[in-house]
Amino acid sequence: MAKQHRIQADSDRPARYEIRVHGHLGSQWADWFDGLAIIPDDNGDTRLVGTVVDQAALHGLLKKVRDIGLPLISVNPLNDDENRI
Amino acid sequence: MPTPILATKLFVPPPRPGLVARTRLIERLNAGLRHKLTLVSAAAGFGKTTLLSEWIASSKQPVAWVSLDEVDNEPARFLTYFVAALQTILPGVGNSILAVLHAPQPPPTEVLVTTLLNEIAAVPHHFTLVLDDYHLLDSQPIDHALTFLLKHQPPQLHLVIITREDPQFPLSQLRARGQLTEVRVADLRFTHTEAADFLNHVMRLNLSAADIAALEIRTEGWIAGLQLAALSMQGSTDTARFIESFTGSHRFVLDYLAEEVLQRQPEPVQRFLLHTAMLERMCAALCDAVMGDPAAKGQDTLAYIERANLFIIPLDSERRWYRYHHLFADLLRQRLHQNMESGAVAELHLRASMWYEASGLEIEAFHHAAAAHDFDQAARLAEGGGMPLLFRGAAGSVLSWLQSLPPKALDAKPGLWVMYASAMLFAGRMNAIEDKLQAAERALQKPTLDAHERDLIGHIASIRATIAVAQNQVDIIVHQSRRALDYLHPNNLPVRTATTWTLGVAYQLQGDRAAARRAYTEAISISQAIGHIIIDLMATFGLGYMQEADNQLTEAAATFQRVIEIAGEPPLPVASAGYVGFARITYERNDLEAAQRYAEQAVHLVRQIENTDQVIVCEVFLARVRLAQGDIAGAEAILARAEHYARQHFFAAPRLPQVAAVQVLALLQRGDVEAADELAFRYDLPISQARVRLALHDPAAALKLLEPLYGQAVEKGWVDEQLKLRVLQVVAGFEGGDRAKAVQWLGEALRMGEPEGFIRTFIDEGLPMANLLGEAVSRGVMPDYAAKLLAAMDAQPLPSSNLTTPLLVEPLSQRELEVLHLIAQGHSNYEIGERLFLTLNTVKGHNQRIFGKLQVERRTEAVARARELGLL
Repeated sequence: MAKQHRIQADSDRPARYEIRVHGHLGSQWADWFDGLAIIPDDNGDTRLVGTVVDQAALHGLLKKVRDIGLPLISVNPLNDDENRI
Repeated sequence: MPTPILATKLFVPPPRPGLVARTRLIERLNAGLRHKLTLVSAAAGFGKTTLLSEWIASSKQPVAWVSLDEVDNEPARFLTYFVAALQTILPGVGNSILAVLHAPQPPPTEVLVTTLLNEIAAVPHHFTLVLDDYHLLDSQPIDHALTFLLKHQPPQLHLVIITREDPQFPLSQLRARGQLTEVRVADLRFTHTEAADFLNHVMRLNLSAADIAALEIRTEGWIAGLQLAALSMQGSTDTARFIESFTGSHRFVLDYLAEEVLQRQPEPVQRFLLHTAMLERMCAALCDAVMGDPAAKGQDTLAYIERANLFIIPLDSERRWYRYHHLFADLLRQRLHQNMESGAVAELHLRASMWYEASGLEIEAFHHAAAAHDFDQAARLAEGGGMPLLFRGAAGSVLSWLQSLPPKALDAKPGLWVMYASAMLFAGRMNAIEDKLQAAERALQKPTLDAHERDLIGHIASIRATIAVAQNQVDIIVHQSRRALDYLHPNNLPVRTATTWTLGVAYQLQGDRAAARRAYTEAISISQAIGHIIIDLMATFGLGYMQEADNQLTEAAATFQRVIEIAGEPPLPVASAGYVGFARITYERNDLEAAQRYAEQAVHLVRQIENTDQVIVCEVFLARVRLAQGDIAGAEAILARAEHYARQHFFAAPRLPQVAAVQVLALLQRGDVEAADELAFRYDLPISQARVRLALHDPAAALKLLEPLYGQAVEKGWVDEQLKLRVLQVVAGFEGGDRAKAVQWLGEALRMGEPEGFIRTFIDEGLPMANLLGEAVSRGVMPDYAAKLLAAMDAQPLPSSNLTTPLLVEPLSQRELEVLHLIAQGHSNYEIGERLFLTLNTVKGHNQRIFGKLQVERRTEAVARARELGLL
């Protein structure tokens, strides 16, 4: 938990994030989401995973999720252990 | 030069025939009219805009509409469309705002909104304004402006905001006060009945209750999803299989269905959809230009797409302009970038840019050129023909384009560095300007310069001169303005005229009135010719001030009237300069009532501007009028307010001597010579000191002070000072017993004052002046004029000061009066301390002295006694 807080506080540095949305998204959306990896989960969700340069870029991604009406489930920073996907 | 308005953005979308009736929501919107704001907030594809267009079709009230774009992110452009929309139902409203909105230094947004609200408050009926796609704006200044508007919203206006994300307003506050109606996803999504109605009646499918339920669950009532599903099934014989595979899939609804729908279209339509997807709005001609295929007929394809219900929305009643539903456009753009090389996409943007430019829509042309990464085309468009694009409501997009360019690209076109600096000046970011100018100069360092490069050097100097005006640095203004005029191209009138004005300011600050007049006159004539309103306004005011200084009251009055006219009706706050100037002339002509009215109007207007030392100029003059009316306490209260303001704003501190000069007059009228003496010395005010000497019955000392001042005024040709000083010398001479000299001086003063009808300058001097005017009449020195002045004096009421002050053993000090005023308003000692920045003990000390001087023991008695004495 303490570790996660530290990751979140670094708002001006690149960090890896996982954005979880509802529904399976085709890999052709990778460009739309600035090259994030698009990983379908068995439960019907999709995880968008990748490095985000700063908080502003993260908000930009969330707007793109909003703009195509994707139901947003969660946004999480990934620490080093979770880096391998 | 005004921003061209795209009429399509103001078009209220017409309801489509055969929609699902949404009675419950229409009723909620109707009920919401009683509140300030209706917020329709939901994700894309939930039928927000459709609902509103249906509601408007059934509404009896006039409705104005703005479809916002990302480029409306700047307050100036946003307000332009806000006003343009209002004018579709309220002709003429907001004209005065449009006039100054795109000036290089427009007034603060709150000022403009206030002006607009005042006009709205005068509208005799209720009306609604809809802001569609508010989420496309990401601008704190606009959020603040609307928050301010909501706070002061007149009941005539009802605001509707359609957005995908909640705006940054204090929504919980509005909710708590019952001023907000909300329509959110839970309200908008189709209920089971609505889904059934839509699928089976509107889309004419023949689905079972179970199928409808399955679709409704799969799409969660998302209307765009249901529509796409219906389009996929139309004309299909096996709807059951479609529903089975759709509902059984985990794929994102939009992803799944869009593919279905797109693939059902003929190939040319598919290509058309993809290639036109990057357009914010489109007409057949623009589509043809972008497609670049002479065989393709844009008009037919658009008509087909509309018939096929492919998420296209008409933007005018002639069905000339359309746009794609945003959701669908995003989807198509994503497909476009996937299927096409970026170079080919850039080519599409470039074609759009050329079409827009040929159609005279330069801002849109610039946007597409920037999107195409066509540096030369974008640079050319940003420079604009005559007036740069950044002064035409595109400052934000020009700035972000400039910021996106590598410094090397800017070095190759030093004009862009200069444009960068102008954009920063426009945005008020004074500290970010100089390094851009230096970069431009570095890029321009070469042995020979062509005409364009010389013009840039001139523009750089002009920007430096404007910065120096804001900082009162005379030498720099002169140096840079001269340099600018040497270098600027003869045809670069917008910058040349601004430079002529900065030069005028410099001459005025130096006291070279003749040169200032010439500069202002020239700036006015050029700015009028090219429609540069702000320079016209500033230079006209400057000219009026110079005419006033040259004792040309009639001309000055006409010039100040012109300032008021240029600033429009209801007046913009910057018109305060015209009002206070006009008030001064009216005062001199002894129409105190009118002078008071104009001065109050000036104070009212100038208070709407943040951080301006003009507040002090206006307040001080109003105090002067009050004094002439015998209202010493009123004048002192105003002066205390002005002093407080000057101290709060350090840039206004140089105005303190002006406040003190009138405070001295008030103190003398009150009989507090000691305090007047102290103030006149503290601020080094020789004329005030002379007045104090006169009050102390030391006319010789007064004359000694006045003599060199008069000499100086003659030497510099300052005729206004000459007249004022001569009049004071007349009084001093009279008090000193040298009547012959006094009458001779009076004769000179009368000859100076007669042609323009000066009155107050003479009669404000009271009894000694009355005495001498009588003598002038009897000796035949300007007898008609002197008699007229005497008559004006006789008509004066006796000043009340002579009646009240003697009753006080010891007069109250300025500070004690302030404290007394606050006591009378019911403030506690603690609150008084907070307001005046005093400790509690200091306040109590003041109270003791006030009670002592008024010979009372309690606050209530003090207030009653002060009222008796006319101090409150």
